[in-house]
Amino acid sequence: MSIKLNVINLEKSEYTGGKSSLCPGCGHDQISKVIIQAAWENGIPPEGIVKMSGIGCSSKTPAYFLGKSHGFNTVHGRMPSVTTGAAMANKNLLYIGVSGDGDTASIGIGQFIHAIRRNLNMVYIIENNGVYGLTKGQYSATMERGSTKRKGQPNDQPPIDLCKMAINLGCGFVARSFSGSKKQLTALIKAGMSHNGMAIIDVISPCVTFANNDESYRSYGYVKDNEEPLHVADYIPHFSPIAEVDIPEGEYKDIELFDGSTLRLETISDHHDTSDVVAALSAIHYAEQQGKHVTGLLYFEADIPTADEVQGLVDIPLSSLPAELMRPSRAKHDELIRKLIG
Amino acid sequence: MSGFDYVITIGGAAGQGIATPGNILARLFARLGIHMYAYNAYQSIIRGGHSFLTIRCSDHEIRTHGDVIDLMICLNQDTMDRHLEHLGPNTSVIFNSDTIEPGKAADGVRLCPMAVTEIVGKGANKLMQNTVAIAVTCQLLGIEFKALEDVLNFQFSAKGEELMAMNVKVAWAAYEHSAANFKPASQQAPKPGRPLAVWAGNQAFAMAAAGAGVKFYCAYPMSPSTGILHWMAANGRELGIMVRQVEDEISVICMTVGAAHAGCRSMCATSGGGFALMTEGVGAAAMMEIPIVIVNVQRAGPSTGVPTKTEQGDLWQVLGASQGDFPKLILAPSSPLDAFQTIPEVFNLADKYQLPAIILSDLLISDETSTIDPELLDMHPLIDRGELITEVGDEAGNYERYKFTDSGISPRALPGIPGYEHVVATDEHMPDGVLISDEYTHPHKRRAMLEKRQRKMDGLLADLPPPAIVGDADAEVTLVGWGSTAGVIQEAIGQLAQAGVSVNHLHFKWLVPFHADEAVQLLSSCKRTIIVENNYSGLFHRYLRGETGFTVDGHIRKYDGEPFKPHHIVAAVQEQLEGGETLSVPYEEIIV
Repeated sequence: MSIKLNVINLEKSEYTGGKSSLCPGCGHDQISKVIIQAAWENGIPPEGIVKMSGIGCSSKTPAYFLGKSHGFNTVHGRMPSVTTGAAMANKNLLYIGVSGDGDTASIGIGQFIHAIRRNLNMVYIIENNGVYGLTKGQYSATMERGSTKRKGQPNDQPPIDLCKMAINLGCGFVARSFSGSKKQLTALIKAGMSHNGMAIIDVISPCVTFANNDESYRSYGYVKDNEEPLHVADYIPHFSPIAEVDIPEGEYKDIELFDGSTLRLETISDHHDTSDVVAALSAIHYAEQQGKHVTGLLYFEADIPTADEVQGLVDIPLSSLPAELMRPSRAKHDELIRKLIG
Repeated sequence: MSGFDYVITIGGAAGQGIATPGNILARLFARLGIHMYAYNAYQSIIRGGHSFLTIRCSDHEIRTHGDVIDLMICLNQDTMDRHLEHLGPNTSVIFNSDTIEPGKAADGVRLCPMAVTEIVGKGANKLMQNTVAIAVTCQLLGIEFKALEDVLNFQFSAKGEELMAMNVKVAWAAYEHSAANFKPASQQAPKPGRPLAVWAGNQAFAMAAAGAGVKFYCAYPMSPSTGILHWMAANGRELGIMVRQVEDEISVICMTVGAAHAGCRSMCATSGGGFALMTEGVGAAAMMEIPIVIVNVQRAGPSTGVPTKTEQGDLWQVLGASQGDFPKLILAPSSPLDAFQTIPEVFNLADKYQLPAIILSDLLISDETSTIDPELLDMHPLIDRGELITEVGDEAGNYERYKFTDSGISPRALPGIPGYEHVVATDEHMPDGVLISDEYTHPHKRRAMLEKRQRKMDGLLADLPPPAIVGDADAEVTLVGWGSTAGVIQEAIGQLAQAGVSVNHLHFKWLVPFHADEAVQLLSSCKRTIIVENNYSGLFHRYLRGETGFTVDGHIRKYDGEPFKPHHIVAAVQEQLEGGETLSVPYEEIIV
C-alpha cells in the first residue's frame, strides 16, 4: 500500500496530534480531525501554522491536532488579543484559533468583537456546545432559550448568535457548521484557511456528557434532525485545476478565495446569496424562529483590508528584523534629540 | 544654594492656554542653558478648574519645583484670590489689570499690573495676555528681548507670519512697558550657557523603549501614562514601531504577550486602574516565560482616584499582581533620566530571564517637564536578547521549550522555525510543553518546573546592583526612599546640611527581586532611619520590613495628591529629631 502524500510531500501523520483527553464521542474531536484533514490536504507546512486557543474543552484541542505546529494556549477569552500581538509581530504565519462558546461569547466577547473589527487575518473556529463542560455543564451564552441539558432546568436566557454578531460587525467570512457534517465543515475550514482576513466558523459541537439529550437544541439528534444547510460546499484548491472538477448538475456559485482556491456552493433548494448581508441575517433569523440550525457559508466579502494591511506592516516580520533595524538609525536618533533641544 | 534659583508660577483655568506660556518659558530657559523643572497641578477637565504651573529655573540641575514662589503670573482672578496671600516680600505678580483685581498683598510684594488692551490694542486675541506676561517675566529677569523673540517665532511658526509678527510686536510693547514701570526681579538670569534639551518624563520612557528595540507598543489611553502613547503614535511609523490603541487593558497586555512571543520586544503602559485589568496577563507571561515590559504610571487611588495627582500607592498591587508564585522583575526609577538609562537594561533582563518586568513610575516622574543635558541621551544602548533561537540549529527536532537547566533559563525559540515547534501554555507543563494539568497532575513534575522558573530569580538578583547609601556614612539621620522621591530627598538633605543636620540617603530602585541581606546591613549601620513615602500607610516600609525584618525609626508620608517639596521633608526631619515624633504628614500650602 502506497503512503499518500500531500502537495508538499508530507504524510497525514505530520499533521496529527496527541491523544485526546476529551469525553469519547465529543464533537470537538470530530473538528480536530477535520482541521488535520484540511491542513494536510491544503498542503500547508506545519511549521508555518500557529494554533491559538483560550481556555475550556475546545481550547484544549490544539494538543490533539497539528502536533508539529506551534501552539499558544492563552488565558480564558484572550485568544483574539494574543493572536493580534503575534500576528503583528509575525504576519507570515497562519493563525488558526480554536475557542469555545464560554471563551468567545462570554468572557472574551469584547475581544471577539474587536478582533473582527480590526479584521485580524486568522481562522477563528468556535466549538460551540452551549455549555461549560469542564465545570460540569452550566449553560453558556450561546445556548438557545428553552433548551434543556441532561440535568437541570431549561435555559431561561436568550442566546447570543455569534454569526449574526460577526456579520453585523462587518466580518468578511462568516460560516456556521456542525461537527457531524464532516464534508461541509472540511470545505469551510479549508476555505477559511484560504481567506485573507478574519474567517469566523461557528461549529455546533454537541457536549456528549452534559447536553446530548433530545431536549437540548445542541444534541447530535436534535441538530441532525434540524440542520438546514444553505448549500453543498466543495473546496477546490488552487493547486488542482478547476477545469478538471466535475460541473454540478444543478445551480451553483463559485467563490474565488484569496490564494486562488475556490469554494463551490451548490444550491440545495433556494439560492442563498453570500454577498447579501440581509439575506445572511434573514437566514439565521428564520432558522432560529423555527428552532432550526442553518449551516453553510452565510456571508462572504473579499478584499476588506486586514489589520496588518491597515497598519501598513512591512514585509519583513517585525520579529526578524536585523539588529540595525531594531532601533532608530543614527540620523533619526540625532534628529529626535535635536527636536528636544528645539 | 547660592546662585540663580527662581520659581515662576502661572495660574489660570484649563482652556486659558497655560501650556503655551509654560512651553515658551521652558524653551527659552533651555536655549539659554538655564536648568528648568516644571510641575503642573491640574484637574481632569478640558475647560475650567484651576491649573497652576510651577516652573523653577536655576543655574544648577534641579529635581523639584522648589519651596517658594518668586513670580506669579495670574491669568484669571481665581489665581490671584487663591495665592496672593501666600506670597512673600520681593515676589513679583504679573496680571492683566483690565480684568483682574489685585486684592490685598503682603508688604514687599511687587504688583505688576498690565493694561493688556492698551498694550495690545482693541479687539486683540484674549491669549495675547499670555504673551504680555511672558515678555514682562523676561524683562524682570533681565533676559534679552532677542532670546524671547526667537522662541516666540519658533512657537508660533506653524501658525503663520501674521500671528508671529503680532506676538513679537505685543511682546516688545510689554517688555518696554515693564522696563519703564517695574522694579527688576529679585534675581537676574545668568549669562547664557550651552543649550539644554527639554523633555517630559513620559517621553523619556518612550524614547528609551525605542532605543532598546521595542517594535510593538500598545495602550489604552489612561492619565498619566498617555504621554508614552502620544510619543509612540507620533514617531512609531517612522521608527518602524507597531503602535496600537486597543479596546481595553486586558487586550493591551495580551497583545504585548502575543507580540513578545512571536519575537518582538514589546511594551505597554497604563496607570493603576488599567494595570488592575492587566494582572492576569502578568501571570500568563510569567507562566509561558515570555519577556514583556509594563509601565505603571501611578496616580492617586483607589479606583478612578484622582487622575491628575501623584501617589506611590500601587506598590502592593504590582507586588501581588496575578495569582500564583512566579518570577518577575519590579523597579521604580527615580527620575526621567534614570528611567531612560535603566529601561534598556530592563529589556535585556526581561529577555535574559524570560519574565514580565514592571516599571513603577508615577505622575510626578511621567508628567514633569524638565531640562536635560542632551549629551546624556544615547538611544543606542546595548541590546542583549539572551538565549534566543532565531534559526535552525543542532537541537532541531529535539527542542524542548522549557528544558531544565541550572540557571532555570531555557533557550527560547521563536515560532516559525522548523524543528523547534512547540506549544506554550498558561497551564503547568513539562519541558516539552505538554500540559500536566490535562490528565495527570504529576507532583514531581510540577515541583521541578516551578523550581526551574524560580531559579531564574537567583541569577536575576545577582545581576541587579545592591542598594547603596549616598552621602556621609556617619550621618545623624538616614532618609530612606524609593522611586520618584529621590530628587526631593536629595534637595532636602542639602537644606538640612545648611541647617547643620547631617543626613544621608538610602534609595531603592530595584524592588523585586530584593537585595535583602545588603539592605539589612546598610540599615543596621544607620543611626536613625526615616522613610519618605507618597502614600498613607507606608507601603514600601511594610515591604522593606517583610524582606529584611528591619523597622525604621520614623516616617514622613504625604497622600494629598501633591508631591513633597524639600521644606516638607526638612521640617519633618527637624520635628522628629527635636520632638520625638515618629510620623510626620506635611501640610500642603498650595491649594489647587
